[in-house]
Amino acid sequence: MKLCDLCAQTEATMKVSQLDKDGKVTEIAVCADCARQRGFTEVEKLKAGVAEIIAELKTRVDEGDSKLVCRNCGMSYAEFKRQGRLGCAECYVSFHDELLPLIRRIHGAVQHVGRTASGGRKQAQVKMNVQKIREALTGAIQAEDYEKAAALRDQLKQAETE
Amino acid sequence: MKLASDVVGKWLSATGPEADVVVSTRVRLARNLSDVPFTHRARPSDHERTVEGVRWALSDAGYMTQGQFLDNEQLSEPHGQYLVERHLASPDFVASKAKRGLYVSKDETVSLMVNEEDHLRFQVMASGLDFPEAFTAAAALDEKLETQLQYAFSTEFGFLTACPTNLGTGMRASVLVHLPALVITREIEKVLRGAMHIGLAVRGLYGEGTETKGNFFQISNQKTVGQTEWEIIETIADISRQVIQYERKAREYLMNKLRVEVEDKVFRSFGLLRTARVLSSDEAINLIANLRLGVALGLVNEINLAEVTRLLILVRPANLQVMLGETLTAAERDERRATFVRETLVHP
Repeated sequence: MKLCDLCAQTEATMKVSQLDKDGKVTEIAVCADCARQRGFTEVEKLKAGVAEIIAELKTRVDEGDSKLVCRNCGMSYAEFKRQGRLGCAECYVSFHDELLPLIRRIHGAVQHVGRTASGGRKQAQVKMNVQKIREALTGAIQAEDYEKAAALRDQLKQAETE
Repeated sequence: MKLASDVVGKWLSATGPEADVVVSTRVRLARNLSDVPFTHRARPSDHERTVEGVRWALSDAGYMTQGQFLDNEQLSEPHGQYLVERHLASPDFVASKAKRGLYVSKDETVSLMVNEEDHLRFQVMASGLDFPEAFTAAAALDEKLETQLQYAFSTEFGFLTACPTNLGTGMRASVLVHLPALVITREIEKVLRGAMHIGLAVRGLYGEGTETKGNFFQISNQKTVGQTEWEIIETIADISRQVIQYERKAREYLMNKLRVEVEDKVFRSFGLLRTARVLSSDEAINLIANLRLGVALGLVNEINLAEVTRLLILVRPANLQVMLGETLTAAERDERRATFVRETLVHP
């Protein structure tokens, strides 16, 4: 059994070619966990290229794919497979589980780590929301409507964590 | 942008770092609005709303005073092709019939397409190998736009794009390199395979599926999820630095071992460009690329790197016609191209 060159604990299942600063290619053996952590994909899959992975989708439309429909834009998963493009942002939620393996295959990772949207307008909206609930809460307390105040307090908590 | 112009973008000025090998650096970001279906699925009214929203956001961010916003009419032929040749718009974008918009900064370093595959696709180009310049400017535009627009974003997948291949950072970072010596010494495949091995894409001058005319190559990232923007950029910059070293070594080798052959190639090309009466676009590009090598090696001093790089764009069919202010047949173009190149090179 060949152990992983990175963690030296688990059995290596994959060979990875590394290009060092001098342009020398060295091959190392890694285990599945280390490969996933570092975003290595199998060389075979890499060779396929991103465009080919998308093109290949077309050939694999299953029966169930047309029944799986985005709750927002109405696009079916079968349509996505044929076109290679999703219908709207919500499709990523509707087809989440189906897209995961595809995204992993394309990018070798499924968790975004780069810049984040500060949500300019959204943040402003959340702030406005929080402000409104606070005012209502103050009003409820002043009116001694404690039932309403308790409900508003819960709403406020939720709004603040958004 | 003045269309009847022989001025080219600042990113072609050959003033950036490593300009002898690297023509330019480009950072492109893809963004979508959260409450509008992706372009191919949106209704005409959505398309219009998106164009107006982005136009307003650009104006609010102060970009309109530094550039121009072109609409559908201004994107029709021959202007569409002219913009593609200048790397300011994609072929699919100019061919589309939907309501679109294109912002181009005066110096042509910044451009933004509205309603391409994604609602927004914007890029910043810089001369030479200069990711700090290109990325900083792209990120600044991104931040300003976001104060007015609500992007489609998830903490898991990052910026959401019509095609999952652009997901995450939504960033495509690339360098345009000129590698004639590696092609002559037949080392090119080995070098480019190294880049592909670590998951980078190598393409021709005009992106996907284009030939590598004139020994110009584009190296870019394929993966956009799982790495930060700077990690992606560092990978490409690292490879670029290696490629630059290899190309320079190959040029040195040529000058030491095959000087006569190289001089012959360069001066024959120079001679043809200065005397030919008919020049096709492809022939011109290949000859100009050889001349560029001669300039970079110091063999030709009559013209500088910026001038020769500028010619590469101006000899293209649409640019030639816009510059001359005439619509020409292919045969007429070849003749006028030869005249233009001759006049530029005989009395530079």
